[in-house]
Amino acid sequence: MGALPKVSAVLAAAGEGSNYPLANPAQQIYSVCQQCNTQCGIKVKLVDGVAVKIDGNPFSPWNLVPHLDYQTPITDTARIDAPLCPKGQAGLQSAYDPYRLVKVLKRAGKRGENKWVTIDFDQAVAEIVNGGKLFANVPGEEDRQIEGLKSLRALTDAKVMKAMDAAIKKIWAEKDREKKKALVEQFKADFADHLDKMIDPDHPDLGPKNNQILYFWGRQKGGRSDIALRFFRAGLGTTNTHGHTTVCQGSLYFAGKSMSDQWDGSKFTGGAKAYWQGDTASADFVIFVGASPFEGNYGPTNRVPRITPRAAEGQMKYVVIDPRLSKLAGKAWKWLPNKPGTEAAIALGMIQWIIANQRFDAQYLADANKAAAKNAGEPTWSNAAWLVKITDGKPGKFLRGSDLKLVEKKEEKKDDQTIVTYVTKDGTVFNTDPFVVLDRDGAPVLFDPNDEERIVEAGQLLVNGKVGDFEVKSSLQILYESASEKSIEEWAEIAGIRAQDIVELAREYTSHGKNAAIDIHRGVSQHTNGYYNVLAWNALGLLIGSYDWRGGQVFASTYDMGGTKAEGPFILGKANPGALSPFGISLIRHEVKYEDTTIFAGYPAKRNWYPLASDVYQEIIPSAGDAYPYPVKAVFMYMGSPVYSLPAGHTWIEILRDVNKVPLFVACDIVVGETSMYADYIFPDVTFLERWEFSGSHPSITFKVQGVRQPTIAPIPGLVTVYGQEMALQWEALLLAMAEKLGLPNFGPNGLGEGVDFTHPDDLYLRMVANLAFGEKKDGSDAVPDASEEEMRLFIEARKHLPRAVFDPERWRRIVGDALWPKVVTVLSRGGRFQAYEKGYPGDGVRPGSFDEPYIVPTGAKFGKLVNLYLEKNVGVKHAGTGKPISPIATYIEPGTGFDGQVIDDSKEGFDLKLITHREIAMTKSRTPGNYWLRALMPENAVIMSAQDAAARGLKDGDRVRILSATNPDGVWNLGNGSKVDMVGRLKVVQGIRPGVVSFALGFGHWAYGAQPITINGQTLPGDPSRIQGFHANATMRTDPLVTNTTLLDPVGGSAVFYDTQVKVIKV
Amino acid sequence: MEQITHEEKPSADPGRRNFLRALMGAAGAAAALQVLDKLEAAPEQVAGSLVRVPQAVADADDQADVLIRMQADLARALKKQPSERRWVMVIDLRKCVGCHACTIACVAENKLPPGVVYRPVLEEEIGTYPNVTRRFVPRPCMQCERPPCVPVCPVNATYTNEEGIVEVNYNQCIGCRACLTACPYGARTSDFGYTYAEGMPNADGLILGRDSAEAYERAASYEYSQPWPRPPGKRQSPMGNARKCHFCQHRLKQGMLPECVTTCIGRATLFGDANDPDSVVAQLIKLPNVMRLKEELGTQPRVYYIV
Repeated sequence: MGALPKVSAVLAAAGEGSNYPLANPAQQIYSVCQQCNTQCGIKVKLVDGVAVKIDGNPFSPWNLVPHLDYQTPITDTARIDAPLCPKGQAGLQSAYDPYRLVKVLKRAGKRGENKWVTIDFDQAVAEIVNGGKLFANVPGEEDRQIEGLKSLRALTDAKVMKAMDAAIKKIWAEKDREKKKALVEQFKADFADHLDKMIDPDHPDLGPKNNQILYFWGRQKGGRSDIALRFFRAGLGTTNTHGHTTVCQGSLYFAGKSMSDQWDGSKFTGGAKAYWQGDTASADFVIFVGASPFEGNYGPTNRVPRITPRAAEGQMKYVVIDPRLSKLAGKAWKWLPNKPGTEAAIALGMIQWIIANQRFDAQYLADANKAAAKNAGEPTWSNAAWLVKITDGKPGKFLRGSDLKLVEKKEEKKDDQTIVTYVTKDGTVFNTDPFVVLDRDGAPVLFDPNDEERIVEAGQLLVNGKVGDFEVKSSLQILYESASEKSIEEWAEIAGIRAQDIVELAREYTSHGKNAAIDIHRGVSQHTNGYYNVLAWNALGLLIGSYDWRGGQVFASTYDMGGTKAEGPFILGKANPGALSPFGISLIRHEVKYEDTTIFAGYPAKRNWYPLASDVYQEIIPSAGDAYPYPVKAVFMYMGSPVYSLPAGHTWIEILRDVNKVPLFVACDIVVGETSMYADYIFPDVTFLERWEFSGSHPSITFKVQGVRQPTIAPIPGLVTVYGQEMALQWEALLLAMAEKLGLPNFGPNGLGEGVDFTHPDDLYLRMVANLAFGEKKDGSDAVPDASEEEMRLFIEARKHLPRAVFDPERWRRIVGDALWPKVVTVLSRGGRFQAYEKGYPGDGVRPGSFDEPYIVPTGAKFGKLVNLYLEKNVGVKHAGTGKPISPIATYIEPGTGFDGQVIDDSKEGFDLKLITHREIAMTKSRTPGNYWLRALMPENAVIMSAQDAAARGLKDGDRVRILSATNPDGVWNLGNGSKVDMVGRLKVVQGIRPGVVSFALGFGHWAYGAQPITINGQTLPGDPSRIQGFHANATMRTDPLVTNTTLLDPVGGSAVFYDTQVKVIKV
Repeated sequence: MEQITHEEKPSADPGRRNFLRALMGAAGAAAALQVLDKLEAAPEQVAGSLVRVPQAVADADDQADVLIRMQADLARALKKQPSERRWVMVIDLRKCVGCHACTIACVAENKLPPGVVYRPVLEEEIGTYPNVTRRFVPRPCMQCERPPCVPVCPVNATYTNEEGIVEVNYNQCIGCRACLTACPYGARTSDFGYTYAEGMPNADGLILGRDSAEAYERAASYEYSQPWPRPPGKRQSPMGNARKCHFCQHRLKQGMLPECVTTCIGRATLFGDANDPDSVVAQLIKLPNVMRLKEELGTQPRVYYIV
């Protein structure tokens, strides 16, 4: 021991000693990133309560491949860090942004003037709930009376709401206009006592005044969505709760929704927003279309390790179809720079070749029902062989047994219920009017798609003929005809590539059995023809039957947190006392056909209708601006910045500034952002490092998962008291406080059911974690193991810096109960629950070369149902602008059409370049301007132009250029407050972009979010000029010729259009 | 069976004993403490600390993520005397996707202020439309076996340590920047003592404000296994010093990979002991498509590139 004193002296001189606190498990909290929407696992490292370093979570399949065994002790993982992208690494700069709001702000000048006063939280909540002359001190608004939530929550009886909804559905179902009118009169008589609570009694389908409360959001995940929807839908009774899907990739999800609809016995329904990605981790061949997984696209942390290692070793090869040489394309086997918006043409060319050459998986396509799929070992099946009735050459509804008089409908009374069956002459009983395929001899075979017993395989796939009195075609035949509208050479010419490329892709794609994948994203969906582009590419997966197979098309899967599957421990779905039942046409006119409503007035409609889509972001405020179908009274915005993020988002500014069109605008934001700057009140929120959320999954994650985001640092805005309890000043606190003042029955004492209070966000979140920990089996056999004593101790130790209002182990334990508490700690200590690698991705199987060879075993996260090739639900749906029917099958539609159905061509006016956008890895769309580390990597973005185009225009690399379009000929943002922002940037001349196309990276050129001065309580706080560096050219994106306050859009799938604007680039 | 590796760190204080207990539970700690007692009995011999090898690392097979396999390589290397190992880094340019995670992870780990970067990634476009590809080249310190930066230091503040890493002794460095000029790879930068939140407003009670916001920038880095805080209003090392990549040797001592390696989403940066024939890196540097930068200068970099 002789030498030790000297060593100790050295250590003392060095302060803390030579250890490494970042490796101490008592200084680490596992959570989930939200610098973008990929939702990677993170490990937050803390010193003295400050988050000083973030790394990846080795338990999460996003971060390690394979991810670590869930039972690995956290004392072990303390020294095992996992990868994380640069945005994730910089995440603490989002939390510690100097411009973070810490007080509730109330507008003290005109909307957008950026003059604010701080206001007491309770006072602000009271004003919003009660209304009044809230801005009497603002010139021009002295007498403006604002309706508060109390009076806007007009209809408060769920029973009446349900009865009204049923009456409205009857009105919609009635096709005769006169009879429809009579039903409206009937409605008025039946609900005479409540007509004063309706928006317009003559149009009862607009619903109650409650619908004039509007809630929309940017990024909202599980947990927060549960509370927000509980408040706005069940609590306030408004149907107007809308997400942002269409600004991201709406048409991708809504084409997927159509394809995932299931036959319920009477109709195709129940499809959820669905997105299939390619399982690149196993595929031999991948075609990426308009996808950029190295820079965005639900990546890169999770996606890159599933692409590059095998690609570099020659085990997988991939093609990239993208006008721009993305980082992905820069390393591809083949880069095909197509003309933007022509994606479907390439897919249809491939489809034509594959069908003509019989290179499809005939067995898969022949499987007509669930039993056949099961028999063939297929997780999914399609309607490719089903027969469709053809009228006047146009495909309509599926042919049915009753059409052919092969079944007789029978009704039977059983225990007060009428059971309907369809019986054939030989006594076969169907629960539904059966569908029809042909056998080898051309005879009709009847089947129920959901039948698990009777195997029905079609004997013919390409049918074009007559059955009985009916002209029929099979779905596959209809697809083939659609794909044969042009020759392969013509398809190639449309897309701007070579015919031999299409053939080569088709041959390669069909040379690996099911082990080939299609991976599509925004470049496919964010066009006016997005929905049909997506259908075409998704159809290719059906041709090789690769859905749910390793190396094929994969689907996300998450653990149940609502206690539904295990019927406990906490069944949260039912715990919603006094829940209202919202109804009526939504502000964005979705999930209803224009023609069915009482406000049908011919074509074009005033604005588009969306029977097949939802969450149509670009419609929200412009619809309010047009008061179509009705005006709004109170608007709430959470974690969104549509002015910045939407194409032509500048059109929102004028409407948001108009206090008559938007009488009350409440925002919850972490800073004064590009959209919240127009709000009346801004409630400070907390960032992903300070809060809860359940982060869900993405299709490229082939495991059943549920990440749990949880507080890792103390809430920067501090605490408030609601329901007598301290909690963080954040979005949940605002919702709970409004509920308290309104006395909503599904919040507060007994808010989660008799004897279960909902007076703190923890009351809900801890129960959700407990459900997650317990698993999906009633007997508890799916539960996670208990945390060890050591982990229990470390769990508390790691959170000792959090205020009791945020973390109180006793309160938490009380909420979930002693038995579940150690399991809850297991889940929280690992940042979520993740299926074991081997379980989700079992074995290596045999890598097939053809469809006949044994397949690789399917993935753990499964879709497992019918995938529609032909979309019967689309039959009878009309374009609200033109009144023309929409197609029920993948087809090519020219890109860049307006609401009038006409192709827009601004090139005649000299707008000779197509504008597209891209993402740089170091910047999200709108949320990272305060991340200085990332800004240092790339201080500004650039106008990316091909060398050929630059030379033709006499432009040089580094020139300052302005981007203009037909609907923004000055190339500026007008902020409406006297300021203008130029769309001027540096030119970057490259080889890696298709001539005729220019691109810019999103996320730069901010004018709020700390970029410009703001005045609070008379004190002007200077902005950080680095945040405005670069430019943001969304305001050049074209508005519609008819609907002039809105971007171009996909009338079917709802996408906001980023890539169909023609621009001019001029030197400044 | 838990594996224990030794590392040459001057520490056997009671705090470390408690740390071990916390980390390993009673049984593991007992075994570890036995070893610790032995070390304490002969401190001048190994003067070592102990790093327990996580079971998941010890169990790593060829199916494990290469990061875990390299951590196992590291554990093996740490059992050796420092002079017996040869740290090398291999950067597989086929796999680098130019994400810059390494750049930022390094900045965050080492608390690098504005102007200081240890590991930039250069981007280039190669070819002519439509035959174009992209290449991304990470550029850490090459940890040369014959480093041109070392002899030019007038105060001997920079030197190669016994395991081959070129270090800077911050307390010795006078900030003359001779080494910056001498390095043919531009791998050194100067710490001017700024923070990124420089110039942002303070406004108590209205916004978070600069002083509170930059707490994480002021927090200590643990380079060379010592805390190096950057307290406001004070100018102390490493402010004013030359700074450079050190292969995160403070992490190596913990049995952890350098940050740039551990955070590499493409698994393009590999690290380990070239003297261990079974290590991932030893297998790679034998490949024919391996090169080093500016080989002609005779600097003998320890960083290899696969092209």
